[in-house]
Amino acid sequence: MIEFFKEGLLQFLSYSGFGNCTWGHIIMIVIGLVFIALGIIKEYEPLLLVPIGFGIVIGNIPFTDGLQVGVYESGSVLNYLYFGVVKGFYPPLIFLGIGAMTDFSALISNPKLILIGAAAQFGIFAAYITALLLGFSPMEAGAIGIIGGADGPTAIFISSKLAPSMMGAIAVSAYSYMALVPVIQPPIMRALTTPQERLIRMRPPRAVSHREKVLFPLLCILLTAFLVPTGLPLLGMLFFGNLLKESGVTKRLANTASGPIVDIVTILIGLTVGCSTQATNFLRPASVLIFVLGAFSFVIATASGVLFVKFFNLFLKGDNKINPLIGNAGVSAVPDAARVSLVEGQKYDKTNFLLMHAMGPNVAGVIGSAVAAGILLSFLY
Amino acid sequence: MKLIYKYLFIFVAILFSSVSFGQSVHDLRLNEMMIKNIDNFSDEYGRHVPWVEIFNTAYNTVNITGCYLTDDTTGFAAFASKKTDQIPAQWYRIPTDQKMYMPQRSYLVFYLDNSPLFGPFHTNFTPAESNTHYIALISSNGKEILDILEYPAELRDTMRVFGYLVDGVRNPEAFKKGKRADGEIGYLTAFTPASSNVTQVGISKQEKLRRDDPYGIGMAIISMAVVFTALITIFIMLKIFNYVTRRTTQKSKAQEEQKSVQEVAVDNNDNVGANAEEIAAIGTALHLHFGSMHDEESEIITINMPSAHYSPWAQKGLSMKKNPKLK
Repeated sequence: MIEFFKEGLLQFLSYSGFGNCTWGHIIMIVIGLVFIALGIIKEYEPLLLVPIGFGIVIGNIPFTDGLQVGVYESGSVLNYLYFGVVKGFYPPLIFLGIGAMTDFSALISNPKLILIGAAAQFGIFAAYITALLLGFSPMEAGAIGIIGGADGPTAIFISSKLAPSMMGAIAVSAYSYMALVPVIQPPIMRALTTPQERLIRMRPPRAVSHREKVLFPLLCILLTAFLVPTGLPLLGMLFFGNLLKESGVTKRLANTASGPIVDIVTILIGLTVGCSTQATNFLRPASVLIFVLGAFSFVIATASGVLFVKFFNLFLKGDNKINPLIGNAGVSAVPDAARVSLVEGQKYDKTNFLLMHAMGPNVAGVIGSAVAAGILLSFLY
Repeated sequence: MKLIYKYLFIFVAILFSSVSFGQSVHDLRLNEMMIKNIDNFSDEYGRHVPWVEIFNTAYNTVNITGCYLTDDTTGFAAFASKKTDQIPAQWYRIPTDQKMYMPQRSYLVFYLDNSPLFGPFHTNFTPAESNTHYIALISSNGKEILDILEYPAELRDTMRVFGYLVDGVRNPEAFKKGKRADGEIGYLTAFTPASSNVTQVGISKQEKLRRDDPYGIGMAIISMAVVFTALITIFIMLKIFNYVTRRTTQKSKAQEEQKSVQEVAVDNNDNVGANAEEIAAIGTALHLHFGSMHDEESEIITINMPSAHYSPWAQKGLSMKKNPKLK
């Protein structure tokens, strides 16, 4: 009788998490809890870090193979939810929501700001070159480079196509650095600008008509998608969402796209990407390199934006000049990068409000990173 | 007696027909394989793992359910001679699945990843952890090796594919003797999982990039040029927007001015030249001025137009979100 109980207890323990736990699981669970803490206590991107952090915890609960519970086990619930990440249909849905939330007025009223969004994409390709030099394959290097676009959905979309085995590390890296934009960017901005440049006041943007706002997404999708058709899933959804918002006659659809849809997909994508970071896949030297390269691409992207503005200013006169403190916003971390421009600008002149000026390159960065993603796909996929 | 022969003939015919159907598993070939898979063919989870392709050389459907895939045939003799009922641990029994019915001249890819829980196409062994240099396909009764693909040891360290140079074409006499005819198997020039090995397709995009642009500089330059082209195109479009809007605004402004001039000319009594908002502003200012205590002042009231730098956007209330708390 005692033997029976002993055997039963041992069998139960062998099925439990305690019986299958490794140091890798514990480390990953701690990382997940740190993410949750950063989201709740520090309020760093809580909408992303809390689902991802919880997903990391779920994905690293140890269990016996064959119970159909893990994200990689065929037929499990998490496996079905993960399907949207593997097949890449969550990111375009998030882009639909982003389009329905974004106001492109700042860009329309001051078109030259769009070029900052293009310059900041250099971070992607600098990281691509560095990753190649470090021995990553071209596809892996492309997936790592996209972290420099500072766009979580784009990073997931590209890595799901080019390097699915690295998607967890790339997504977590991209979202971590997006959350750390207020920490990473200001020192670079200060290092690359002079006190006089930081005081530049920009001409207030003009009022943008309804007709311009409606025509903008239509013409943009035609121009960009013809040039880079591989970016269609992202660009198409982005501009479609924006048309729903600006048309004025599809308010209900715009509200759904920018509210319930984006919320649902954010929950699913955050949770399942977190789950995909199982210790066996995640705790590898390559993951550390991905984090280092991600930081590098972020720094280069920020520096490229700021330096491009300085260069651009050589050709501009009077109140046409651009404050280089908005150069950082060329990365597409909307709206955090723009808010960093505002905060930094006000440190030197409390009456200088750079927020809406910075929103121009910021939304241009969204378009730029989607275009860059399309180019990477057309080269590598 | 003739009736007996007749029934015997029918019996033998049925027997042979069933044998010939059963023999079609002999038409299966381990057609192509890859071990060091870094960025090539990926499984349904997007992982790059070793794989092997089975090709049905027959012109009829073959059910491969129950056949075994393995990289270790050491237990084969004992299992085939029924000395043991225990299936050797390294044998992967192909499970029942609709997809295991291979149509004529079709291909199936199995992932040699030691992850059988990932689905029916994932085996319970991986050549990366094995000391042998072959993959074998064994019949469902475990008595016959249907095909065996021996590969060179260096295949583990090179990103190349190995298999039949012409899909599944093998010399039966040589195979019976455990040999291969010259030029039967070898390294293939292109990766062709789930398709014919005989192809005119050149090297893959990744290989081409690796060869022509090893440091990625060329791709970076082209990509940045395309990004700039795309956004400059939008820039030009927006400039046109701006131009048209400015022209339209100027035109309407000129029309309004002309209209107001005409109105002033018609109504000579109304010569103040101020609009309702300005009158309201002056009235409010006068009211505030006379209704409160003052020192000696100039008593001149002026209207200051907003400076060029004024913008309704320059308001703190429009900040997108509050700063993260630094606790």
